[in-house]
Amino acid sequence: MHIMEGFLPVKHAIGWSIASAPFVAFGLRSINKRIKEKPEQRMLLGVAAAFTFVLSALKMPSVTGSCSHPTGTGLGAILFGPAAMAPIGAVVLLFQAILLAHGGITTLGANIFSMAVVGPFAAAAIYRFAKTARLPFGLSVFLAASLGDLLTYVTTSLQLALAFPDPVGGIAASFVKFATVFALTQIPLAISEGFLTVIVFNALVRFNPQELKEMNVVTAQEVQA
Amino acid sequence: MLIEQSAYTNRWRRVSPAAKGIFSLCGMIAAYAATAPATACGVAAILCAVTVLGAGIPLGRYLRIAAPALFFLAASALSLAVSLKIGNTVSALSLHLSRAELEPIAHVCGRSLGGLTALLFLALTTPLSDIISLLRRCKLPDTLLDLMTLSYRTLFVFSEAVHETITAQSARMGYATITLSLRSLGGMVANLSVQVWHRSQALHLAALARNNDGALRFLEPEHPDAPRTIPLAVISGFLLVFLAAFLP
Repeated sequence: MHIMEGFLPVKHAIGWSIASAPFVAFGLRSINKRIKEKPEQRMLLGVAAAFTFVLSALKMPSVTGSCSHPTGTGLGAILFGPAAMAPIGAVVLLFQAILLAHGGITTLGANIFSMAVVGPFAAAAIYRFAKTARLPFGLSVFLAASLGDLLTYVTTSLQLALAFPDPVGGIAASFVKFATVFALTQIPLAISEGFLTVIVFNALVRFNPQELKEMNVVTAQEVQA
Repeated sequence: MLIEQSAYTNRWRRVSPAAKGIFSLCGMIAAYAATAPATACGVAAILCAVTVLGAGIPLGRYLRIAAPALFFLAASALSLAVSLKIGNTVSALSLHLSRAELEPIAHVCGRSLGGLTALLFLALTTPLSDIISLLRRCKLPDTLLDLMTLSYRTLFVFSEAVHETITAQSARMGYATITLSLRSLGGMVANLSVQVWHRSQALHLAALARNNDGALRFLEPEHPDAPRTIPLAVISGFLLVFLAAFLP
């Protein structure tokens, strides 16, 4: 769920833009470094941004029986790394604002922070932790994708709660209120996205292990297993 | 994509993107500067009228494009209107609908409507390729612009591939149940993920064959109307901000 154009107060809109800027700058620096070592990465990341945009427009069946759209943060973070996902996410969110009227220009910073910073970094950290804990590959991917997705919406709820504290219960009550509204759709969606990402990775490991090994996503042992 | 179709077919397609960008930016500033909800709604009405009557966007299409954002606004306004009081026990949890809170909520709704119409003005009158060249003139980092350009040029290829794959999968009952849907979707996304590598390698080879040595370079489109339309956009934009800020 993107925060729409003009919804955040001006101080919050500017504040979240300032908070997101270092991550996008760091991501661009890391992409520049990658491009210097491997020039073909320029095309790869550009095409990956288009792929993420198309992925976010797909209709995904939710476990409640309704339909929603995947965020692709977990898949992207595992495939391309969380640092690269900040600029890729910024491009995708700008395109969504201009081509689909989802989100906005003034709320771009806040949306980048939740969907292109918190989501991918959380997904990558969970995936790394699960691999260190020697959890099965499928479970690691499921946890990274679904929890990364959930944390995205927790962040959006927090952003809205900070901007609009409840007059009676304050920020905490406002957070509970927004999180409850989002939870109705987002918990089933996160579970569905977790399953979807596992199916995607199973297919990739089965049919394209070479590409995954080149991207350091899986080890040779995981491919054989 | 309805917005993309309108951006290429509207009356102001050839007008300088800088002029449209300035007017849209002024619209957003006016929405924030509006002192009363009615003024912000007035700004939204002006921007909507300029887009529909000036650029010739059909009103029905305009409303269809705005509908998802308006749904988010309605849901969020409802969440803001209801107050939650958390006590020490579950029975102490209660909901309140405060009358005093309705004024600030109306202000947020008015501002959002103004912002949305300003965004739609730019999106419905200016193709994304023109916005990217405008951002290039604003000196955004080259890598970010390259990502945008490559992404914009390939997203329709992926979109077509998704459409064709879904048609083929549906013809084989691939979306008959939730389990089958997830499986079909997973297979398609995995296939597309691999295409990301293959297509990017093909693009890289094509660029190398044309002596590409790094950043992508493009000829900038010329807009002979710019000396006339940019001052016009600045004046009308400032007028809009002035009206929003000083009208009661």
